[in-house]
Amino acid sequence: MRKLLRRKTTVFAIAILTAIMVVAVFSPRLVPNNPYMMNPRHRLLSPRGAYLFGTDSFGRDVLSRTLVGGRTSLAIGAAVATVSLALGIPIGMMSGYFPLLGLGLMRLVDALMAFPSIMLALAFMAILGRTGMVNVILAVGVVYIPRMARVVYSSTLVLRDIPYVEAARAVGASTVRILLRHILVNLLSPVIVQSTFTFAFSVLEAAALDFLGVGVPPEVPSWGGMINESRLFIVLAPWTVVFPGTFLAVTVLALNLLGDALRDLLDPRLRNVL
Amino acid sequence: MTVFVVRRFLAMIPSAFLVLTVSFFLIHLIPGDPAAVMLGPNATPDQIKALRQSLGLDQPVGWQYVKYVNRVLCGDLGLSIYFQEPVLTVVLAHAEASLLLGSLGILVVIGLGISAGVISAVRPYTWWDRGFLFAALLGASIPSFWLGLMLMLLFASHLKWLPTSGFASVFKTGGLLNLRYLVLPALTLGFVNSALVARVTRSTMLDVLRQPYIDVAWAKGLSGSVVVLKHALRNAAIPIVTVLGFIFAGLVATAVVTENVFAIPGIGRLTVQSVLRRDYPMIQGIMLLVALLYLLINFLTDLIYAVLDPRIRVS
Repeated sequence: MRKLLRRKTTVFAIAILTAIMVVAVFSPRLVPNNPYMMNPRHRLLSPRGAYLFGTDSFGRDVLSRTLVGGRTSLAIGAAVATVSLALGIPIGMMSGYFPLLGLGLMRLVDALMAFPSIMLALAFMAILGRTGMVNVILAVGVVYIPRMARVVYSSTLVLRDIPYVEAARAVGASTVRILLRHILVNLLSPVIVQSTFTFAFSVLEAAALDFLGVGVPPEVPSWGGMINESRLFIVLAPWTVVFPGTFLAVTVLALNLLGDALRDLLDPRLRNVL
Repeated sequence: MTVFVVRRFLAMIPSAFLVLTVSFFLIHLIPGDPAAVMLGPNATPDQIKALRQSLGLDQPVGWQYVKYVNRVLCGDLGLSIYFQEPVLTVVLAHAEASLLLGSLGILVVIGLGISAGVISAVRPYTWWDRGFLFAALLGASIPSFWLGLMLMLLFASHLKWLPTSGFASVFKTGGLLNLRYLVLPALTLGFVNSALVARVTRSTMLDVLRQPYIDVAWAKGLSGSVVVLKHALRNAAIPIVTVLGFIFAGLVATAVVTENVFAIPGIGRLTVQSVLRRDYPMIQGIMLLVALLYLLINFLTDLIYAVLDPRIRVS
């Protein structure tokens, strides 16, 4: 941890992320105005005292909607990261440890990875329908579970033949014990790094779905959805697009900075490679 | 070399079949009756029944799969529900815009990515280097649709240098001037995707510049540009080629969004509209084509790799 905090950019990233998370969690109490209330007389007002970020085309407070919209993005990002861990680790470990199983499963993973990320998510949204946040989590999860499985798979392949794992096998440790006590523990570094990036990319991916009008239902405030609703007024009222976009970009940037820092820390060999 | 090409091509076939299978099951993952979902809530039972029959959904799944594989192999991707035309015809009609946008995007990626990578590698750990690294990270973090809108706001609305959105065919009406519609979209596409190229160029150039033959080149008194561009960059080109497949996937993904921002009638926009129209045969066809194209690009990447580096052919 102390090593992690040595870099200024990392401290900056952690500070930003903490701030955004705190704001997202407490946003219902923090918002200055009701984020859902439409006020036709206050349409497209520029930023001012009562509305620090201005108002949108329905007369809703952009600041309040931006703060509440962060909840949507972070919830989806965290959920996708969790789902990809919960499914990607077992799939990857099993495939890496049992070669025959791996041959089949990894082909399926490769086939899923041949579809460009957003297209796969779009297709799954088409199947599941735009009915709730869970559908977005599933659609984006389908994109990132195979990627996590791949990372776990390739690390397991290496770990399986390392002498201490062979030694454990030789002294008669059960397969379950070897997988959990010897392999899983050593997988943690790549998995932590990958899940940070999964978090970052799924926030972006979900925002893109919202922007395209196929993400969370329209009544749920989200950064992508706000930008989509206001894109026609961008010349007239740039603040309606600039603020949610800046929050989105800064959040993803902070997550990527953290991911880079964790990768450098946990896997020094990669420091100059990527 | 022939053996390598054949072997690599044969290795592609199982992947292609799996891609085909995944695309087949897309329609079968729809909860409930797919025909009813496609036609929406206002369809009569007769219409639903007719569509179910025309899509062959009333037959056993195994038989449907055999028929699907058979017809795809014959080049028939089915009929679009919305256009009432073959999926392939509709996709080809939208291909020009996407191909032009993609090609310009790749030019931007190569131009930005490689030059940033080379400058960073020549002056490592300076402010130049840090600036480019940060820009690359920014490119990976900034949402493409938002960047597109911001560019549109600045260059089209305020400065009025370029049109805000739209597209005009270069081939039908002629005139390269029509490419002006694609400048902002291509910049968006390029900036977002050049991060990977910049990083790979930087790290391989750093390695190459440490090689003894570079010291010899300097010692011979060659100019900086000759050493860096001719001696070093050429040998750094191989790893850069290997990321082409990744870049293709990234370009397709960002093109879906960018085409929607700039109202470009390409395949990405068609995909999103098909999702909104619940035109499942269309979605299925596009997914299959794009995935097969991705496999093909990876195949070609491996071939280029083998041509550039003879060691690959043997192993």
